[in-house]
Amino acid sequence: MQVTIRLHGVFRIDRFKEKTIDCPSGTQIRDIVEQLNLPANLLGTILLNDSFRDGDALLKDGDTLVLLPILEGG
Amino acid sequence: MNIQTTDHVTHPTGVLYTRCTVDLKTGKYDIVDIPCRNLEDVLGGFGRSFQLLANRSVDKAYSLENPLIVNTGLLTGSCTMTGLRTYFSGYSPIKASLQGLPAAIWSTGSGKFGAKFKWTGLDELVIENRSLKPVYLVIKHTADGPLPVLKPADHLQGLTTHEKIMRLQTDYENAHFAVIGPGGENWQNVFMGSVALSTENQLRSGEDKCRFAGRGGMGSLMGYKNLLALVAQSPDQVKPLSDAVKRVNINVVKGGGSARLQPIKRGGGGGTWAAYDVLQPFHAVPINNFRPAGNRLPEKLFRENVEKEYYVESAACFRCGITCHNNILAKNSDGSRGEFLAKFDYEPLNLLGTNLGIHDAGQVASLIRLVDNYGLDAISTGVTVAYVLSYNERHSQQPILNGASFGDFSKIRDLIVATGNGQLPEIGHGCMRLSQQTGETSYAYHVKGLELAAYLPETNPGYAWAIAGGHMSMGTYGMLIREGKSDVDSWVTAITKDKLQIVGFDMIGLCKFFDIVNGIGTEMVVDSLKSQFGLSLTEQAIKDAVYRAFLRGLLLERKQGYGKGEYVLPPEVTELPNQALKTPNITSHQFFKELSNRVWQIFDRDMQALAKAEMI
Ligand code: SF4
Repeated sequence: MQVTIRLHGVFRIDRFKEKTIDCPSGTQIRDIVEQLNLPANLLGTILLNDSFRDGDALLKDGDTLVLLPILEGG
Repeated sequence: MNIQTTDHVTHPTGVLYTRCTVDLKTGKYDIVDIPCRNLEDVLGGFGRSFQLLANRSVDKAYSLENPLIVNTGLLTGSCTMTGLRTYFSGYSPIKASLQGLPAAIWSTGSGKFGAKFKWTGLDELVIENRSLKPVYLVIKHTADGPLPVLKPADHLQGLTTHEKIMRLQTDYENAHFAVIGPGGENWQNVFMGSVALSTENQLRSGEDKCRFAGRGGMGSLMGYKNLLALVAQSPDQVKPLSDAVKRVNINVVKGGGSARLQPIKRGGGGGTWAAYDVLQPFHAVPINNFRPAGNRLPEKLFRENVEKEYYVESAACFRCGITCHNNILAKNSDGSRGEFLAKFDYEPLNLLGTNLGIHDAGQVASLIRLVDNYGLDAISTGVTVAYVLSYNERHSQQPILNGASFGDFSKIRDLIVATGNGQLPEIGHGCMRLSQQTGETSYAYHVKGLELAAYLPETNPGYAWAIAGGHMSMGTYGMLIREGKSDVDSWVTAITKDKLQIVGFDMIGLCKFFDIVNGIGTEMVVDSLKSQFGLSLTEQAIKDAVYRAFLRGLLLERKQGYGKGEYVLPPEVTELPNQALKTPNITSHQFFKELSNRVWQIFDRDMQALAKAEMI
């Protein structure tokens, strides 16, 4: 199946802004996070097709996954 | 602090703090050791100062009855990382109830002044009355204890914050400084004056790198008192690190809690500036007076874009490994570091940039620098200017002031200069008063008279219950976008329990970035206190003390005339929901009403119990 991944902020450094990838069915969001080697302590919001999700969610063909660094203010 | 007990939960009087009271009218001072009444007194900061303010009857901020309280927290000047905070408390010139009574407020900043102040031997300074002539106060560490001396400050008058600090540095070795700028000096027409705190980096490099205690106009209160600067002169008293504190500090830097604030080249998130990248996908970066239109304009101030033209440098306060500052410098033709321009923290960057329709990094840097130099609170200044621009957009035939419009850098700059010089009370008195004058209050972005931080109220109904700065005294600003929480239950729990714990940092002397998610009721703080002071505390006892301090803040608001009808968001938010936002709507009338009812059920119950226990 194909999933489109969008990265924001520091996650784009040495990676990409948007990419469509092939992945096997049964892939969870956390598998993608691991595959991309995103630092766990910087991972904040996860949006799957515009809905908030956590790492356990299963991906399906045609999904758009958005990974954002954690929001910190001041 | 003089600690004569290990059990200061049941015996707080076994801990004494040293307070110096200076009467600016007579020039007399008095230094006493005062036994703590409760754990809040022991922890310090606003937890202590608000108890003093509660005992005062103050109906005007600019009155002799209003003290300025400068204090520290238990861990200020300690070995615990980020232990540098100074707190300024008093009744606020800018934050006021609709009855016209001033709210109690505190404001805080890092830099090294707080540690130096603590090392003089004082925990608290209470400044009473006002001086007829401009003065500054030197507190010197001596073998016989702290020695305060008032000095004439004519030579400091009119200087910018940075100039005052550099001028004082020539006269005082081994000292740090807390100063006001022209904004605070023009207190009659400027209610949003800040206090600038010197940093090591600033004194060493001569570059303009103060930290600021901005919120609530404590610099204006200092100006009213004719007190232009504080000097804390003392040798450094850094103690050797115990193993326990070493572990805590390593955990602060490496444990993950502060990773997002750390420099990108160290694998961190790059500081608060990074909020732009996270908010923009939701179209939640405030633009043109908090009304994002769903466009890509905020991206112009993304770091990746600014870095193409400017040099970005990370920096830290004294001995802090978090290194959260992002300094913007000119880039030389060979790509090397040029002249220092400004600090890019999220709040000033947005509120003096995108939210004014200014998207050019160089222009924003110059406005940030200007506001810092004048000693104005960047948040209140930016939001009030945004109100003017919004008014002018709606009344293009009859604009107010100089007719500035969104994006008009030159006219916006003129407005800020005139405000800092005390020539524009319309802006200097804040957006609540200005909107009352124009009669158009719905798009004045303040809550309870204090301008909002750079998080859309649509994403943060918790603003309504913040007791000082909107985002720094109620940590709910990330609940929707970071945590995706849009149900009333989660918001009630956050506002009444978890997220108010953020104010604990404004008691104990640490930066919020020490552990912003968990607050101070943690093992790291317990270990720090045990190791450095021999105090045995539980995490829950600390959390309870923070909660009581917060409730006292609400009780003080009630004392100053706030009614429940004032705990609301700017009306535009519900009257004209912003369709461009890509977030669930959590500020509808219905949602907010239910939230408000449930939050007050809890706070009313607990405020009543606390008032009864203390017979407030
Ligand atoms: S976290 Fe930032 S503001 Fe706080 S002490 Fe460290 S460098 Fe200074």
